Amino acid sequence: MDSVIKACIVYFVLWAIIRISGRRTLGEMSAFDFILFLIIGGSTQRAITGEDYSLTNALILVSTFVVIEIVLSLLDLRSPALRRVFEGTPTVLVENGQLMTYRLQRTRVTEDNILEAARRLHGLTRMEQIKFAILESTGKISIIPESDQPALNTAAR
Amino acid sequence: MMDELANRQYPVKEHMVFQRRTWIVQRFGWVILAAICIAALAGLFGSGFLSSRTVEGVGMTVRYERFERATRRSLFSFHFTPGQSSERRLHLSRDFQDKFEIASIEPQPVRSVAGADGLDLTFAVAPSAATQVAIWARPHGYGSVAIEAHADGNPPSNLRVFIYP
Repeated sequence: MDSVIKACIVYFVLWAIIRISGRRTLGEMSAFDFILFLIIGGSTQRAITGEDYSLTNALILVSTFVVIEIVLSLLDLRSPALRRVFEGTPTVLVENGQLMTYRLQRTRVTEDNILEAARRLHGLTRMEQIKFAILESTGKISIIPESDQPALNTAAR
Repeated sequence: MMDELANRQYPVKEHMVFQRRTWIVQRFGWVILAAICIAALAGLFGSGFLSSRTVEGVGMTVRYERFERATRRSLFSFHFTPGQSSERRLHLSRDFQDKFEIASIEPQPVRSVAGADGLDLTFAVAPSAATQVAIWARPHGYGSVAIEAHADGNPPSNLRVFIYP
């Protein structure tokens, strides 16, 4: 019984902490972020399993996590408001080559982050070549190039 | 000057009211997380100056942690004031047995009796020497516990412990 409750508590506490830390931390994961996530996983794992390394406990925990995921995704389908709460919303950061400074500061994204995404995704080098830059709810930056500057996508080169 | 707070419908449908609320909640969250770290450094969750307790009782002084965490081994140390007897008795009330699992006792008691009202430990000591007994124990469960510790049948020292899950 307590395994299920522990798993639920850990799921929601971790979710809250990740949401609090902001999308910036999630999407563009550096090597160090990856290590950090492993450490977070390791420290919570022992709290959930405790001294119970049984197969039964592992099955209970995995089932609980999967059930939570399924229930949340069903709720997401029904309510756009809940979807916003659980997943967040996309935010435009660059509009017609213009940086939106207030939004950048709030989301802790820098001009360099946007230019990096523009180089990586479309081979663009200047801010004027970017029509829109969007911080997606997944934490990744999407770039839409100015239409008179056709995208040099990697496949074409 | 563009209005950064207005919703864009293209290229994505925005919800800036919600987004700004999220940013505010996030900043509150950072404060709470920082407060948790500071509280932990201070010992609110065990091991720190908020947690270390010393209780001066009749016949002995007890050092222990006010805040304990479930399954984490912690030390109760009992300092007997010097006496004439070559045996010293330590009685711990039932709550100690209920909430703690003893990992080790140093020195080993010569007699250990589990009664209805708790645990009775008898230690062999050199007369007129200050004696120290260390009990390492792991709490289980959670919540507040009030433990009574008697030295040689003297009035009890009250040890209040809060166990975090």
